[in-house]
Parts: sequence; C-alpha cells; structure tokens
Amino acid sequence: MTWDSFIYFSTTAVLLWGIGAWAAWKDKTTIAYATTISGLLVFFAFILSMWVSLERPPLRTMGETRLWYSFFLPLTGLIVYSRWNYKWILTFSTILSVVFICVNLFKPEIHDKTLMPALQSPWFAPHVIVYMFAYAVLGAATVVALYILIKGERSEVMGESLDNLVCVGLAFMTIGMLFGALWAKEAWGHYWSWDPKETWAAITWFSYLVYVHYTQIPTHKPKLALWVLLVSFVLLQMCWWGINYLPSAQGSSIHVYSLPS
Amino acid sequence: MRGGGMKEGFLVGGSLIIAGLLLQMSVGPVVWDVFRWPVNGIVLAGFLLLVTIIFLLRKTVYAFQFIGTTNAAIPALVYAVVLTILMGLTRQTVDGVWLHNMLSCWPFVLVYVYIAVILGQIILRRTLHFQWKRDVPFLLNHLGLFLAITTATLGNADMQRLKMMTVKGEPEWRAMTPQYQVVELPIAIELKDFIMETYDNGSPKRFASDIQIQTKTGKNIRTTVEVNKPVEVEGWKIYQYGYDTQMGAMSQTSILELVSDPWLPWVYTGIYMMLGGAVCMFVFGNKRRRV
Repeated sequence: MTWDSFIYFSTTAVLLWGIGAWAAWKDKTTIAYATTISGLLVFFAFILSMWVSLERPPLRTMGETRLWYSFFLPLTGLIVYSRWNYKWILTFSTILSVVFICVNLFKPEIHDKTLMPALQSPWFAPHVIVYMFAYAVLGAATVVALYILIKGERSEVMGESLDNLVCVGLAFMTIGMLFGALWAKEAWGHYWSWDPKETWAAITWFSYLVYVHYTQIPTHKPKLALWVLLVSFVLLQMCWWGINYLPSAQGSSIHVYSLPS
Repeated sequence: MRGGGMKEGFLVGGSLIIAGLLLQMSVGPVVWDVFRWPVNGIVLAGFLLLVTIIFLLRKTVYAFQFIGTTNAAIPALVYAVVLTILMGLTRQTVDGVWLHNMLSCWPFVLVYVYIAVILGQIILRRTLHFQWKRDVPFLLNHLGLFLAITTATLGNADMQRLKMMTVKGEPEWRAMTPQYQVVELPIAIELKDFIMETYDNGSPKRFASDIQIQTKTGKNIRTTVEVNKPVEVEGWKIYQYGYDTQMGAMSQTSILELVSDPWLPWVYTGIYMMLGGAVCMFVFGNKRRRV
C-alpha cells in the first residue's frame, strides 16, 4: 500500500462518516453507528496497510501524525455521541477530520521507509498514539466549549460532559507525556531535558490542570473556565506544531518532524 | 475559618516573583551545582520539615492555612504557565542569563518550589483524612508529582553524564565530563566492533557497539549497546552516542555515553504513581468534589 491510494480510502471513509453525521441529525441512531464505525474501519485499514508496507509505524512525520488525528477525531465524536447523544458532534468531528485529510491530500509529505535509530523503540507507537488520542479528545472538548460560548447556553449535562472530556484528554496527555519521559531515558540518557517540545508539553499540561482545578471550585465562573479551555487548546497547538515555526526552538529540538536528507 | 479568595493567591504568587527578581539581582542566578550530595539530601530534609511545620501551624497562621487551598493552587499554576511560556518563547542556553536560562532564574524556581509546598500541604491533609476510594487516585497524582519534581530537581546535581571514546582493541576506563574534565571509572570498556547499517537510500538504520566490559569488582561482560538499547552495569547506563563520521561503517572508534543518576528510582516511583493516577482519572472520570 502506498500513499497514492490514500485518496480512495479517505473519500470512502469521509463519505461513510458524512452519512453517519446526517443520520445522527435525523435520529437514525443505528445507521449513524454503523456508517461511522465502517468509515473508521476503512480508514484504519489504510493506516494498518501503511504500517505493513512501510515496515514501521506510520508516526514519524507530521503528515503521518495527521493521519492518526483524522482517525481519532471521528472515533472521539462517536464516543461523545454514544455517551451524551449530541446530534451535532458527528458533523463537527467529520468536518475537522476532513480538514486534516485535505491537508494530507494537498500537502503530502514523502513517506519513505526509513526510521532513524532514535525512533526505533517500543515506546514510539504508544507515546504518539496516546498523545494523538488526547489531542483529539481535547479538540472535541474545545468544540463543545466554543458551542457553549457562542450559543450562550449551558446545561448541566453539557458542563458535565465537558469536564469528562477534559478529564479523559488530560489523563491520556499525562500518559503520553510520561511514556515520552520513560522513552527519553532509554534513548537520550535523561527523562526530561527541557527540550522546546517538552517545555511546551509542560505548559499545556499545567494549563489543563488550571481548568481541572478551577472547575472544582463550586463558585467558579463557567465562562472563564471555557476561556481557560480555549487558551489551553491554543497552547496545545503550539506544542504540537507551532514550535516548528518558533525561532527560539529552531535547531535545539530533538522533536523535529523533518526528513533525513 | 476564613476563606481566602483567588486574588490573595495571585498576590502571594506575584510577591514570590518580585522576591525572585530581587534575589536574582542581588545574588545572581540559582547555582544548581551546589546541590551535590549531601547538600541535596539536607535541603530535601529541610524542605520536608518546612512543609510539615507549615501544615502543623495551619490553624494558627492564616497564611499557612491558605497555602493548602485551591485558591492558592490555581494562581500558582497560572504563574507557572506564564513563566514556562516565557521560557518556551526564549532561546535557552547554558551560559544564558535571566530568561535565557530560565531553570536558574529565581522567579521561575520559586514558583515551582511554591507549587511543591502547596502539593505538600494537600497531600498531608488528605493523608490525615484518608478514604480509600477518594484518595488513592488523588495521592497517586499529587504525591507522584511531588516526588517526581522534588527528587528530579534536587537529584540533578548528582547526575553524571560522561562521554567515553572507545577504540577497537584498547580497553578504556577514562571518560570526559561536559566540562571536559577527565574522570577515571571503576569500569573499563573495550570496543570489539562498531556496527552501522543503512537503508537503501543511505540514511542510517542502526548504530551499535559490540563491547567488552570489565569491572573493578571482577565482572567480565560481553554485550551490545545500541541507540535506544542502553546497557546497565553497576549503576551506570551505557548509551551509544557517536562514532567516527568520516569513516562511517568502517569506524574504528565508538563514543559511548555513561550516565549515573542515583536519584532515578525516586523519580521513577513518582512517574509510575502519576501513570497510575492518570489511569484512575480515565477509569473513574471527573467526579466534582464539593469539599
């Protein structure tokens, strides 16, 4: 399997997710589940076959992490849908996923077989996959937060679901970060070196901790909490890809998603 | 009981930053090298004592009671976020000053120490009123973080990272510190063979050193060190670090990195506790506690 066939798999998956999103609006729950899951299976089949043909997990380049993100978004959407029955969540997760698929279609990166020795570790796949899942869940939380801010209404259920999403996202983010630390010790001799990526990971982590602790205060201002969530997600973007463009991080990060010459 | 508002928390944190700025101007940056054993052990004991005293006096001194509240914790976290953002936006260098060497910058250090003190307070309070279901996840998260950050920070000065240049057929027992000082080690390493494999397009696939290790205690070990697969011998972790790049696969030398970090078990205990805490957080979810 090569990157060339991505367009067929992705359009099939997006089509299925689209039908799922439509079915959710029409309250055809069974169809929504069936099509969304089928779409996920189609998409995952592509990831798996890439894995097999590359002879390494497709997690090295920015394009490859986007692949996982496009997969986890509808998955998170489906989990949220099954838990709280928001009709709109599948539409949102599909649209977001399409954005990432389009980036990969129009700005493909070379996906060759090489995997530098530093990345050949059993920690590699769990570290990145767990992080991508955390990012997807926190992305979903951001969408819910934006929805509440724009609509100006907030039910008890919504607040609860928001807190749960952040909780799950933060849990996975913590696991991803600590897996990264354990791996770093094996690969580079130290578990935490304040590499720019690590610095921004710490910032993001603390920022979500602010949200989690602030909402524990019974008299907290819900609107302020939503803003904390939005700011946290901006910081997360910085950690994920922003540092690639940050002058202070150039040449000093071991987390560069670039290609060997 | 008076309830301190979050404004007070921001005031306390702000004063700490001002105090840090004054300290930085008067005594210069934090000199972490001072914290070598036994200094770090004494400092840790003193710190734990301080945390305990603050906790014991919480009912007499209002400020001490305040330190153990969420209203103190949130501003402290916000300050940590802001200062760490400054660190992330500024290029960090070993010989940098102020923002360019944030880890030695007093305001940054004080805010993180303050977070550790707050953590200490809530950990002690919860331990005194321990309830299994409520407090196990809580303690895994908070005590884990407390352990990890205090021992990682104080133990850092005891960490040794040495580079050893091994040559085929010649046992080597000397290594170089990052400050280019030569150190003699209780282990000798002889390079038997350097292995380098490449992909079809020439990019590196595998670096490894086939080595023979002899220890002063009389052990004789033949093993292979490669990237991502260090070998541990008598408290030293041995890493594949470099080779003669001009010779490539024919390199007759291999540079190994030897790392000793006596505080690592404590840091790892903290890390594994936090991993357990994160799993709890995922499984049990976010129950809003109204304390």
